[in-house]
Amino acid sequence: MRIDPEKCSSCARCPDYCPVTCIHEGNGSFVIDEAECVECGVCLRDAGCPTDAIYMPEESGRYPRSIRAAFSDPGVQYPEELFPDLKQGGRGTEEMKTNDVTGNFPRGEFGMTLEFGRPGVGTRLREVEKVTSLLTSMGVRFEDSNALYFLFEDPERGTLKPEIADEKVLSIIVEFALPEAQLESVVNALAQVLKTVDTVVSWGLVTRFEKDGSLPVKGRLEKLGLTVRPNAKINMGMGRPLIED
Amino acid sequence: MSHSAHRCGTVSNLQNDYTMYARTSRYVNREGCGPKLRKILEIFLSENPVNFGSSHSGKSFAAGLDPEEYARSLDKAYAVACCFSKPSSVLNVLKRLKEADTGISIVVSGLIEEVQNMADEIGLTPHTALLSLGVHGRKELLPEESVLEITTMCGHGLVATHLVEEVAQKVRKGRLTAEEGAMALAQPCPCGIFNLDRCRELLAEQLERISKEGEE
Repeated sequence: MRIDPEKCSSCARCPDYCPVTCIHEGNGSFVIDEAECVECGVCLRDAGCPTDAIYMPEESGRYPRSIRAAFSDPGVQYPEELFPDLKQGGRGTEEMKTNDVTGNFPRGEFGMTLEFGRPGVGTRLREVEKVTSLLTSMGVRFEDSNALYFLFEDPERGTLKPEIADEKVLSIIVEFALPEAQLESVVNALAQVLKTVDTVVSWGLVTRFEKDGSLPVKGRLEKLGLTVRPNAKINMGMGRPLIED
Repeated sequence: MSHSAHRCGTVSNLQNDYTMYARTSRYVNREGCGPKLRKILEIFLSENPVNFGSSHSGKSFAAGLDPEEYARSLDKAYAVACCFSKPSSVLNVLKRLKEADTGISIVVSGLIEEVQNMADEIGLTPHTALLSLGVHGRKELLPEESVLEITTMCGHGLVATHLVEEVAQKVRKGRLTAEEGAMALAQPCPCGIFNLDRCRELLAEQLERISKEGEE
């Protein structure tokens, strides 16, 4: 995003709307720090600029910068040329939301989601690689319908395309499945590497309910030092035909 | 996406915060799903949701999305999101969805225990959960919890910390009511899961707490 200095009236309305705090007062007008801007479009859509000074310059749509809007603005579809056959917007996948009809996560497996940059901080993509390269060394394979998968140079090694390393997005999700028996080793390794990332990460775990309605994994997670929030996303089992293994 | 999974709050102030998401699968039941999504939207709307929408519509109810226009657009959609502040509304919606038996997956985000109680009451068997294991990494970059309770109601992170602080200040100074403040904060979130009622109550609680501290 950019502010046209000729049009800006310095009303100071737009800085409050920026989720990553990258709009500042400059010399005679407000200025967007384009290195920090994630192209989420909130300033353009919602700040109500009285002089229409905010705009998206052509450069924002050119690769690799185009990655920013794709992962930060939910109204932007992933460009076909970069994400062939993805056919979706949004940062994640169907994951557990349709698990009752897809069986993506059967009993005996967990799903894991690591959302970099969330909440409200943003992340450089190089931070993601710190974790993906570690996970592949532990045998993890990433969800190939997640948009992140298209940014890998080598998904088997968890390395990203070098030209995107410095791009910044509002958030991006690392998503994978793991056998139940691997929970402790993966959580312990992640707990260490997440201390080294230069952003925040919202961590989630997908699990089937037991037939008695319990979630025994909560006890295992608490033993590992993780706190499980009292609120969660719950697939109510109303999809048909139901996958009941 | 996991955009309603990581809402910050306490058991007490999450009592009035439930999002419901009807989601088709592109592998199973997306083809021709428009009429079913419209039926689900009709059921959602019958129980006074506080907000609704989806990113494909580009704006939420709070930002002016017209329900009829939205219903017509659902032939090109794959999901519908809605937000409720009363557990009784969620329960009634689930009952009606069970009767309607659309076959579309339904996800409820809210307090685990409360959602399980609802499922028990109407004979549903919850299938899968996405548990939130909190925020890790450089937590010193985060604003205070009272701000996060509001910003995380937009799972895409489009409600800015500074906007919450600015609106809260206006509410404290009496330049906005808590209700007006909640409406202002809901605007950047296009998906319709920003809970206006909960936001209004959180702003009003902040105001009350500051008033009490002033008296002391």
